[in-house]
Amino acid sequence: MTVIDILTRVDTICKKYDKYDVDKQRESNISGDDAFARLYGAFETQIETALEKAEIVAKEKNRASAVAMNAEIRRTKARLAEEVPKLQRLAVKRVKGLTTEELAARNDLVLALPARIEAIPDGTAGGTKSTSSAWAPSATSRPDIKFDSDGRFDDDYFQESHESSQFRQEFEMRKIKQASGDQGLDMISEGLDALKNMASDMNEELDRQVPLMDEIDSKVDRATSDLKNTNVRLKDTVNQLRSSRNFCIDIVLLCIVLGIAAYLYNVLK
Amino acid sequence: MSSDPEKMMSKADKMTKLTLTRWSADWRGATELYEQAANGFRASSKYERAKVALEKASQGQVMQSSPWDAAKHMESAAALAQKLSIWNEVADFYRKASELYVECGRAQPASDALGKAARALEDVKPEDAIQLYTDACEILEEDGRDQMAFDLYRACASVYIKLEKFTDAATFFLRLGVAADKCDATNSQCKAYLSAIIVYLYGHDLKQAEKCYNDCSQIDAFLKSDQNRAASRLLTAYNEGDIEEIKKVACSSTVSNLDHAIIKLARKLPTGDVTAVQMNAGDDLDEDDLT
Repeated sequence: MTVIDILTRVDTICKKYDKYDVDKQRESNISGDDAFARLYGAFETQIETALEKAEIVAKEKNRASAVAMNAEIRRTKARLAEEVPKLQRLAVKRVKGLTTEELAARNDLVLALPARIEAIPDGTAGGTKSTSSAWAPSATSRPDIKFDSDGRFDDDYFQESHESSQFRQEFEMRKIKQASGDQGLDMISEGLDALKNMASDMNEELDRQVPLMDEIDSKVDRATSDLKNTNVRLKDTVNQLRSSRNFCIDIVLLCIVLGIAAYLYNVLK
Repeated sequence: MSSDPEKMMSKADKMTKLTLTRWSADWRGATELYEQAANGFRASSKYERAKVALEKASQGQVMQSSPWDAAKHMESAAALAQKLSIWNEVADFYRKASELYVECGRAQPASDALGKAARALEDVKPEDAIQLYTDACEILEEDGRDQMAFDLYRACASVYIKLEKFTDAATFFLRLGVAADKCDATNSQCKAYLSAIIVYLYGHDLKQAEKCYNDCSQIDAFLKSDQNRAASRLLTAYNEGDIEEIKKVACSSTVSNLDHAIIKLARKLPTGDVTAVQMNAGDDLDEDDLT
């Protein structure tokens, strides 16, 4: 069997068993139905990709790419947040073949979307966010109570919970500590600047002195060889002077002179 | 030999004069006598006479074809002239000494001699000093020892700054940059360019400063340096008329590593230039209006 035959057989088998492909059915269902479902599907996929990216960022070691990916995630979140109102409008539209319960469910899904978008980690999540996320679960866990018509805007609603005030305090403390830490870092950076300047000046000075040292080296070499020569010649000369023959002659002559002096002394006395 | 320097001098003079009895001058003996006379005069603080003696000794050495000793005598004579504040003689003697050193083939002492002359004349005759510095730098560059010329360039530029000739000073800093480039002394090079930019800014010449900055940005070494960042911050602060920022840059550690004279200019920067800053602020408003 040739490759082409295999390919055609695989194609026919796939077409035969297509109706059992769950993912494809879901896709065709969704694209067939209505705008809301389509848009919602698109939203879901985008949120999923963003979450995946967030996971990759969490494992990423390279700071620069982590920052870049976080920025992308934040952009996606902003875009999604913008499109949520559109989705909301589609959600309230009546579509044929849709029950009232499903309509209500759709509304809830749309309302839950902003919270889900916010929940995607993008590297800026901190203590302050937990105040907003503290509210989100309570909304999604009560599907039959709608947020908009929730009239419980009493004092408790806007009162800072214990947790949120704690978070705020911690935030302030951290900010102050960071400011003093920044001061320390500033001083360190100034010291390092001075050190760097001094080190590069020293480097240049040493570079300047290298050829001078080479010159000194060669000159000193010449001087030593000259000295050696001179020393050898001096040694020869001194040896010549100190040779025993000259000594004997000197002593003999000295004796003769002394003898003559003694003779004269005797004569004159 | 008599110990009276005057007698030695006259004796030496007689030795060198050609008369009927003397048909060739005895330069060796004469030079020795001149040197001894000079020492004697110096010991008795008769600097004028010592100077004359040294001049003659130097000439004697020249006659004996030993330019090195001649140059050394000339330098001592010049130092004495400096003590006596006879400035044109100082310049002359040092120049002669430098020429003799060049004859020996020793460029470093030659330029050192000119440098000493320039330093002596800095306060009194700055133009001559500048000429001497330039000549000294040229001697070193011809010999290929650019690194020694850095100090001379810096001194020359500071003399120009004292004379308030800012474009000339900046030119010298750029020449320093060229010399530094030849020896791969990147730190000195970048500091030289930053100094040139600051000097231009101090001279109220924003356009020149920007042109200078653009030129220098072509050079890799400058582009990657701290000095580049400081220069760009300074120029943007100038363009936006932001006096606070200018002061911050002037007090930063990068600028504080430059020459003392430049630091003084940098600290004075915005106040030396308020009208230009205001003009720039006006330009910003015009741009806003157009958009």
